Amino acid sequence: MSDMPNAEERSGDARSQRKSKPADPLPSALVDRDQVQARSNAQKRKSFDRMFFWLCVAIASLSVVVLVVLLVSIGFQGQSRLTSDLINNSHSELEPAKSGMWPSIIGSLLVCGISGLVALPLGIGTAIFLEEFKPANKLLRTLHGFIQLNIANLAGVPSIVFGLLGLTVFVYMFNVFGQIQVNRPSDWELFGVNHYYQVLSLEPGQTILVPQQDQSQTTIKISEPIEGIDNDGNPFQIEIWDRASGPKPADRETRLKTVKKGAVGGSYSKRSWYYFRLPFGKSFLAAGLTLGLVILPVIIIATQESLRAVSPSLREASLGLGATQWQTTRNISLPAALPGILTGAILALGRAIGEAAPVLVVLGAAIAKNRGPENLMDSVVTMPVLIFNWAGRPQDVYQQLAAAAIIVLLVVLLALNSVAIYVRHKVQSR
Amino acid sequence: MKFTRPPVALIAMVALGLLVGCDSSKTTTSAPTADSVQTDSASESTLVGDIKIDGSSTVQPISDAIREAFIAQHPGVKITVGGEGTGNGFKEFYGKATDISDASRPIKPGELEKAQAAGVKFVELAVAYDGLTIAINPDNDWVKSLTVEQLEKIFVGKDAAKKWKDVDPSWPDQEIKIFSPGTGSGTYDYFKEVVADKQEMRGDMTLNENDNVLVQGVAGNKFSIGFFGVAYYTQNASILKAVPIVNPEINEPVLPTTENIASGKYAPFSRPLFIYVSEESLARAEVQTFVEFYLENVSTFCAEGKVDYVQLPGDLFERTMTIFDDVTTGTHFIDADGNSREGAFAELYVAESLDAK
Repeated sequence: MSDMPNAEERSGDARSQRKSKPADPLPSALVDRDQVQARSNAQKRKSFDRMFFWLCVAIASLSVVVLVVLLVSIGFQGQSRLTSDLINNSHSELEPAKSGMWPSIIGSLLVCGISGLVALPLGIGTAIFLEEFKPANKLLRTLHGFIQLNIANLAGVPSIVFGLLGLTVFVYMFNVFGQIQVNRPSDWELFGVNHYYQVLSLEPGQTILVPQQDQSQTTIKISEPIEGIDNDGNPFQIEIWDRASGPKPADRETRLKTVKKGAVGGSYSKRSWYYFRLPFGKSFLAAGLTLGLVILPVIIIATQESLRAVSPSLREASLGLGATQWQTTRNISLPAALPGILTGAILALGRAIGEAAPVLVVLGAAIAKNRGPENLMDSVVTMPVLIFNWAGRPQDVYQQLAAAAIIVLLVVLLALNSVAIYVRHKVQSR
Repeated sequence: MKFTRPPVALIAMVALGLLVGCDSSKTTTSAPTADSVQTDSASESTLVGDIKIDGSSTVQPISDAIREAFIAQHPGVKITVGGEGTGNGFKEFYGKATDISDASRPIKPGELEKAQAAGVKFVELAVAYDGLTIAINPDNDWVKSLTVEQLEKIFVGKDAAKKWKDVDPSWPDQEIKIFSPGTGSGTYDYFKEVVADKQEMRGDMTLNENDNVLVQGVAGNKFSIGFFGVAYYTQNASILKAVPIVNPEINEPVLPTTENIASGKYAPFSRPLFIYVSEESLARAEVQTFVEFYLENVSTFCAEGKVDYVQLPGDLFERTMTIFDDVTTGTHFIDADGNSREGAFAELYVAESLDAK
């Protein structure tokens, strides 16, 4: 750097010398060589600089080109399926052309919401502990270092491993609470469920529910009149009909309240939306919690980075004014780091929406569902799983649907991101 | 700089926004539910309940199709159809986690033992046929047909044929490129059972769980060969060529056409698909109604091309109906000593197989 102006000076010198005294061989040759060398040197450096600049441009645009190629090819493949059916309908096996992804959009958003609700407080809390409350005590300092090390490791763990973790921890809960089985109420149903027996009435396709008293008894045989409930939940007396007592009642209303003598009822659990049970089983809650684990390290690291970027002088000023560590964190560090935290959070949530592997491990590959989850323990279809399934189908229609679904997924992601950018902008301009 | 409360409030707002987002989505989903319940309660079924199905990904499309038609009539019934593979399906089934297990092969002795130990009794219902197609590249002009022995040379063992020449000296001196479904699939199991007997399959095949990858692999290389369910062949018939397989009994090559699969002529690669229904679950009205609906419709769905499988011949389907009507539990394919029975499906799927127990 420092010899550059020197060289410039010298070459300027040399030029004037050459003009005035062209006949002087030795010094001019010497000077000339110097000047030529300097000039070519500068040229080389400058052209190298230019080359490097264009290389950077090329590299930067390469990633954009790849994205554009991807979008164009997907758009081309999927545009024929970008109809309102895609948004409004659910997966259809009988009419593939009318298949849609509505339940999976809802499912993805809900699962992502759960993971955010769990991972954001946990992640931001951990980051605050790691950055703002660095312990002085030796034991705590070791713990601090240990946590820090582990989080860095966790961020590099493949998501499918988190899927297996979620399967053991959330879906089966180490079998501590027993297993979820069909035909048997689970032992740890905490709230939101009523057990009934379902018995066919004399009217075809119409059933009667009988409240279940003893849960260990999975079936009931009705041989004498007992109390049942109708569709609106009102109790009424069930009437019994058997062949000996004459022909079947002709009146529809009566038939609806009558069962055949000896009719068998199987168990049925009516669940409210807040139905809660342990273990979680293959439910959307388990999927959300698992994805929460996946994005937790991402959130922690992003929050740490943005807290670290807050100028220490701000903190020191606050502490110097007599504020406690908590007051400093709450009033100074957190607000200043908020834009960064929000960016990290939204990137993490974007990852949660796009993850297929852990959801596949936790929930399995069921895709046919007409609605989003109806209770906390209900199963769910997410967009990546649906795309994964469609892309593996032999029919062309499903291939196109998969492409169209990818577009929808990207749009949802972009929408989420732009909300984040907007919020961040608002916070920053404050 | 004003670092006071508002940011905290803003965080709360964002969190709330998330929640509200969830809530609003919930209400919009429940809206159609309420509608359907209203319209249905007047005339249609009030059947309610949960049915859990898991198992073969080959049978999953059939079960999904039936499910779709079923819930159009009985909107109160919730049916989950998983497709984690026949083996995993049975694991869930004897773990009492599912009511119905889809299977692309009969239950194995080990699985039966566990089911018996867990006290799970079941009815074994064959619902359709699937033809396993061995496909080659359309440019392949030397393979006219293959025998099971030739397939064994290609697919089985460490010293399997490396080049086409090794199978038949008149074939080209080119390396064989092999595409096979993953080891977890029932398709792989079935092929292995027919071709490899008790030996190991060769280790240097391209395995993939996604059958479309296999299709593309075979279509992209002149010297390749692969196998998958017939659905993947019929959907890609323009870029693949199905190999006629020599039926060992009549000793003539047979193509995997619908007729040949249905008549059993496409042996030994037409395989039956099953559903296994837990006897305990069958006591529930919704399961009973669903399985009845399944059996009433599955053949029509196959015949109308709504699912890419082949309907069972009448006499075999008669047998399925009998088992369902009588609720005869047990499997046809394992004898009283716990050993697998050998023989053609049609010969084993008879009343005597169950009576022998």
